[in-house]
Amino acid sequence: MNTTDTNLTPTEVSIHAAGETLKAKATATPPKPAAPDPFDPAKLRLSQGMTAAHGVKKHLTTIPTRKPSKEWFVRCHDDPAYRLETCVVDLKEDSETYLVAPDLWDYLAGESTFSPRLLVTAINKQGTLFLWPIRLPGPDGRHDEWSKSAMEAANIATKGWVRVQSNMNLGAYEAYEAAGSLGDPEWPKMPFNELLRIAFRDRYIDTLDHPVLKRLRGEA
Amino acid sequence: MNQLHHYKEVWLGDFEFNAQAGERPSPVCLVARELRSGRLLRLWMDDLRGMPQPPFSTGPDTLFVAYYSSAELGCFQALGWQMPARVLDLYCEFKCLKSGQKVPCGFGLIGALTEFGFDSIAAADKDSMRALVLRGEPYTADERVAILDYCQSDVDALTKLLPAMVGDIDLPRALLRGRYMTAVARMESRGVPIDADALEAFRHNWQSVQERLIERIDKDYDIYDGRTFKLDRWAAWLVTNNIPWPRLPTGSLAMDDDTFREMARAYPAVAPVRELRTTLAQLRLNELAVGADGRNRCMLSAFGSKTSRNQPSNSKFIFGPSAWLRSLIRPDPGTAVAYIDWSQQELAIAASLSGDRKMQDAYQSGDFYLTFAKMAGAVPADATKETHAAEREQFKTVALGVLYGLSADGLARKLNVPPVRGRDLLQMHKTTFKQFWRWSDAVQDEAILTGRLRSVFGWAVHAGDDPNPRSLRNFPMQANGAEMMRLACCLATERGVGLCCPVHDALLIEAPAAEIDAAVEATQQAMSEASEIVLDGFQLRTDAKIVRHPNRFSDKRGELMWATVCELSGRSPA
Repeated sequence: MNTTDTNLTPTEVSIHAAGETLKAKATATPPKPAAPDPFDPAKLRLSQGMTAAHGVKKHLTTIPTRKPSKEWFVRCHDDPAYRLETCVVDLKEDSETYLVAPDLWDYLAGESTFSPRLLVTAINKQGTLFLWPIRLPGPDGRHDEWSKSAMEAANIATKGWVRVQSNMNLGAYEAYEAAGSLGDPEWPKMPFNELLRIAFRDRYIDTLDHPVLKRLRGEA
Repeated sequence: MNQLHHYKEVWLGDFEFNAQAGERPSPVCLVARELRSGRLLRLWMDDLRGMPQPPFSTGPDTLFVAYYSSAELGCFQALGWQMPARVLDLYCEFKCLKSGQKVPCGFGLIGALTEFGFDSIAAADKDSMRALVLRGEPYTADERVAILDYCQSDVDALTKLLPAMVGDIDLPRALLRGRYMTAVARMESRGVPIDADALEAFRHNWQSVQERLIERIDKDYDIYDGRTFKLDRWAAWLVTNNIPWPRLPTGSLAMDDDTFREMARAYPAVAPVRELRTTLAQLRLNELAVGADGRNRCMLSAFGSKTSRNQPSNSKFIFGPSAWLRSLIRPDPGTAVAYIDWSQQELAIAASLSGDRKMQDAYQSGDFYLTFAKMAGAVPADATKETHAAEREQFKTVALGVLYGLSADGLARKLNVPPVRGRDLLQMHKTTFKQFWRWSDAVQDEAILTGRLRSVFGWAVHAGDDPNPRSLRNFPMQANGAEMMRLACCLATERGVGLCCPVHDALLIEAPAAEIDAAVEATQQAMSEASEIVLDGFQLRTDAKIVRHPNRFSDKRGELMWATVCELSGRSPA
């Protein structure tokens, strides 16, 4: 207590002491947040990062198996891991392609809708992913012009955007490569077997009792 | 109420005032109450006029609270009082809390009271008291008491409303909105200089001018029967001219102004009909609010739209839809006006907020549309505005239309091209500006997941039960554009620029002719700073057009109609 304090009455001392205590407390506690200042708007800026939407990602639920439309520009995956030589049953009237389990291939060898195909992972300029089934040579080694030209077009499409159009006079496909720089496609980040699973989720023939085979046998 | 502990005093205030069309408000009385002490002030106009400053502090340690405060602050302005440094406007905050939601009783004070479960004065009583205030002097002693009591009832309402709302208010950003209301009061007080003689002449002859206007324009179309627009004749004209006009789900021709505007861009022959319809439908000359001093003053209706843009009355405001009327704007002798707008503001906001570097590059190039066409590979790298004008125009429509969620078919219609071309153009945008599209998808997802979107300063819109994805995707451009405009208005007015009004993405200022260049520079600086703050460092360019007395302002889209109206009125268009 300083000399001035000695001149104070007991009540005044008590008040003064209380004041000191309060002052000490005030010093010990963190300072009050500053009053909001509307003249410092840079500090008031809220992020426009759309944080709730960060977890939102696109799920591929459908991958068609089809030829590219004649007006599409397409690219084919250049990684051989995104191709598969296999066999399918192609129901033209229903526009449906069924993947066939290898242990049934011998059994289906004489079936006209059954054929070996190269499934190529492809994407069009609109971002639609699809599996392009290109006919492979049969057991006799014969490879028709349509299939050969489709294969060539698919190979060109690994490097640039290609439009594939049939030429009936020629009896083959013609590939038109886009002249402009259209950028590279954005391939989905998932392995090829996952793409296959999505594409053939309900179109996989792994038993002789499959409804498609029954129908082909005239049983359904 | 914790948020209010920063303030020594919290004053809730309300003025009654008399405001004739186009005039500054003339205060009738002020009632104010300090929230904590309960101290009440009831001041009649005689008391107010004798006061050089408000009867309470306006410093930063005092919070001034009002409902639709630009009116109260307009009275501060009229009385020559210093503006409060901290303004909390419960209208702005109520609108921000409820924007996009259904509010049964509207956004007025009664609506807010009802929303928070309080009784309010009956609307009919409010109307009769307003009529008494507007009647003007002289007032009997009883009438004075009645007006003061009525004014106090609004202040009493605020004392209930503030504690109920304060927990939901984001005070730091609310004060920024209050700061803008101060700028609004300054702009509403200044107004826009109008050529009052020309206006008076047009008003005098308006009936006959309109009839001759129809005669003049309709001679090429034959759509009108007297003053009636005949739909069957319009349909026939469209068939003759091979114009595929949009139809409503009912099959009828769409006749709204948005359709006319869109079609007038695609088919220039439609433009005169649109301008004529707008001019006739709005009878604007009678309602244009111009005071005795020849200045257009009206409520700017701050925060009027869901996106928080101003929404002034189309018929009272000189910058309403009839572009030709803007030629009535003429600076007073010895002065000049300048129209300063942000260059491609919405595109710049999209480029900045989405973080799309290619879009930012396109903006920075100085010619977004041509650069976009080059990036998409649609024109050669050495293409110019002159060599590829048509392509540039197409890519302009795509770039702007995308921000409004324009569909491929809508785009094709707008450009008068086959739908397949519309799809291709849209696809080019998606391919060129991938990051923008990812962000735009995220904006929509954010709104659906969280139920709302917010601007950089917290203006919110609620997605509601039936969200419109196009509006949600467009919200960041509109709401942040509005934030940018508000901040620029604050900076410019606080730095003494004679700001007349904001016009969407532009500001109209006035200054003595010798000082206009400096005023333009100060305004451009304010606009540049505002863009930098809103877009976190991304600076927008601005363009300025200066008009000195005796020249008049003009808008290209309305020049032909202005010349026609002048000719029919026997006046020189100069």
